[in-house]
Amino acid sequence: MSQQKIFDVVVVGSGPSGGTLAARLARQGVDVALVEGGPKLNTRTDFNTHAMPYEFANRHIPTMKPGKPGMDSQRTRGAGGKSQTWNAVAWRFSQRDFKGKDWDDGAGENWPIDYADLAPHYDSVEREVGVCGNLDGLTDLPDGIFLPPVPLKCSDVLLQRGAAKLGVKVIHVRKATLTKPKSGRPACHYCGNCMAGCDVAAKYNSYDVHIIPAMRQSGKLTLFTDTLAREVMLSPENKVTGVATIDRVTKQQGEVRGRSVVVSCACVQSVGLLQMSKSRRYPTGLANSSGHLGQHFIPHFTGGIEFLLTQLKGKPVGNDEGFLDHAYQPSFMHTRTRPYARSFGAQFGYQNRRGIGWARRFSGFGADFKNAVKAAYPAYVVWSPYGEKIPDGRSRIFLDEKNLDAWGLPEVRRELNWSDNDWKIFNDMTNWGREIVRASGGEILEVATEPRPNHELGGCRMGSDPKSSVVDRNCRTHDVDNLYVVDGSVFPSASEKNPTHTMMALAARTADHLAGRLKKGEL
Amino acid sequence: MAERRETLKIIGAISATCTFPYTGNELYGQHADPHAGHASGKQASTGPRKFFTEAEFALLSKLTDLIIPDTDTPGAVKAGVPGYIDLVVDANPEHRKVMREGLAWLQAQGFAAMDQPRQVALLMPLSEVLDKGRVKTLPERFFRLAKNLTCDGYFTSQIGMSETLGFKGGSMMANYPSCEIPEH
Repeated sequence: MSQQKIFDVVVVGSGPSGGTLAARLARQGVDVALVEGGPKLNTRTDFNTHAMPYEFANRHIPTMKPGKPGMDSQRTRGAGGKSQTWNAVAWRFSQRDFKGKDWDDGAGENWPIDYADLAPHYDSVEREVGVCGNLDGLTDLPDGIFLPPVPLKCSDVLLQRGAAKLGVKVIHVRKATLTKPKSGRPACHYCGNCMAGCDVAAKYNSYDVHIIPAMRQSGKLTLFTDTLAREVMLSPENKVTGVATIDRVTKQQGEVRGRSVVVSCACVQSVGLLQMSKSRRYPTGLANSSGHLGQHFIPHFTGGIEFLLTQLKGKPVGNDEGFLDHAYQPSFMHTRTRPYARSFGAQFGYQNRRGIGWARRFSGFGADFKNAVKAAYPAYVVWSPYGEKIPDGRSRIFLDEKNLDAWGLPEVRRELNWSDNDWKIFNDMTNWGREIVRASGGEILEVATEPRPNHELGGCRMGSDPKSSVVDRNCRTHDVDNLYVVDGSVFPSASEKNPTHTMMALAARTADHLAGRLKKGEL
Repeated sequence: MAERRETLKIIGAISATCTFPYTGNELYGQHADPHAGHASGKQASTGPRKFFTEAEFALLSKLTDLIIPDTDTPGAVKAGVPGYIDLVVDANPEHRKVMREGLAWLQAQGFAAMDQPRQVALLMPLSEVLDKGRVKTLPERFFRLAKNLTCDGYFTSQIGMSETLGFKGGSMMANYPSCEIPEH
């Protein structure tokens, strides 16, 4: 699909970052093209939100309904990207998260911005999309503008009491899910399958909350779905001029042209797109004069403990799915003496209850076995901690030029190393988990024995020094004046907090910056 | 998994969801056709028998009903578990071998003609070895597979979820109720 039109801004990726940014720009009168590799979706009808496993012969609930495309590969998830299937946990980072290097004796990297730089944008995102939560007054987890929180589950209440004995706080989770109707979106109905696509958009997704309203109201946002970006195009004057594309279905090549480009295709794919955009000037990837593109890959890592709360065994079963996790254990180790840098937080029971693989591990067989599983069912909880990975000099994102995907594009790979610091956090958070479970009257079923990556971050890190970072404090690449990267890839340090709210605040901030430059005629 | 501690080269997607338990992709037949069946609110049919012979299927059915019997709620056979196992085993060459050889072993013990106490007595040592995590022999591996698949199939069946476990999720609630648990 070749477009003769030259847009003000071409945004690649329609997820929470790209969607927020594109809508913000369009509402300020900026002509925006939003390029999405995946198909158009209908959130209301295309997901298996309310399905039960037994409705499928193999008991596996597919994400999309039969014949509905979407969410089938990282490059072609669909309109709304990962925000369609996220869990909506929405924390503000704190000043400690932005200045971790100062906090932890030089370990890791500081952000070049402060909490105060993002605070107004956290505010505006919360006002706009709706975030529920409690005002907890914690220094390390700034409060925001919240809708009412959702009550804790019984299991959360018991864990809160157990953790309190150890001096550890458990608070209400904060999520970009409505607990009151807002802007035509209904409140959550607690069907418990948030991560399968929320069919009423009570849970934020960028397509229904940002993109569609901005298209209708501003008339300035043009959405190109099924349009894979294969290269960011560069002029001899060192300016980007748009993106070269491939049609997901017909595989026809085309272009979408613009005065500036924002790459927002989720950490790994953003890095991959820049690495695919090679030129004589940038032989190892666009905006990689520093050699740091793809480096400093710092995904969160999880561990976990599955356990039964003895007090709930054999008790009547309630709606334990709710809106998945209702409680959170914020980081507390960063204020204690510890033999590692950074810390961890934990979520409780964010998995739905539609499969119970743990039944396999109960002993014996027959009526006693069946009754034991039945009694355990209301007592089952998973404690899921998230640790912060600091850059280790080895973990990276790179192109596998030998393996091409269905569109002839190289696969984007990750190399992930677990450093000593990662293992120390992992072991400590696992020990703390055991203690909290014990203090809450729990019987442990299984403990994770190695970290697993989650929430991908890093690869285009933000920094003041063009020699050691890819983008500046405004998410603009140091190398190319009209090229921006806005998503988790720009995080110089990861925090232990779920990252999406910070990506959206960065997107809002970058939108204001870009609109300002356009107004001044700088682009 | 432990051998990969030093460096993980992750090929393809990193799952963004923490998938407990760590039992690999045979759980809930994820390797079978993901688009089999349509959401209807009812339990999907597993269709005609694909892998097991009639005699094998009868033996398997008896076995699943010993693992999860009728109690105050229906057991494995009434919940359609043997049909689910047929579907999953058919799609997995390793499972096919273990099941075929295991059922032949069970047949050779005269399982079908035994009364129930003797059937239970035959399985008990296998179950004890499984609980101790010391599975080695074919009968032990066979019993482990049969128990795993019976659990998966039963507790994701309509009967297993709704009647036995009393699943209350998937609801439509205006408000989520507060929990009232007294301190002591």
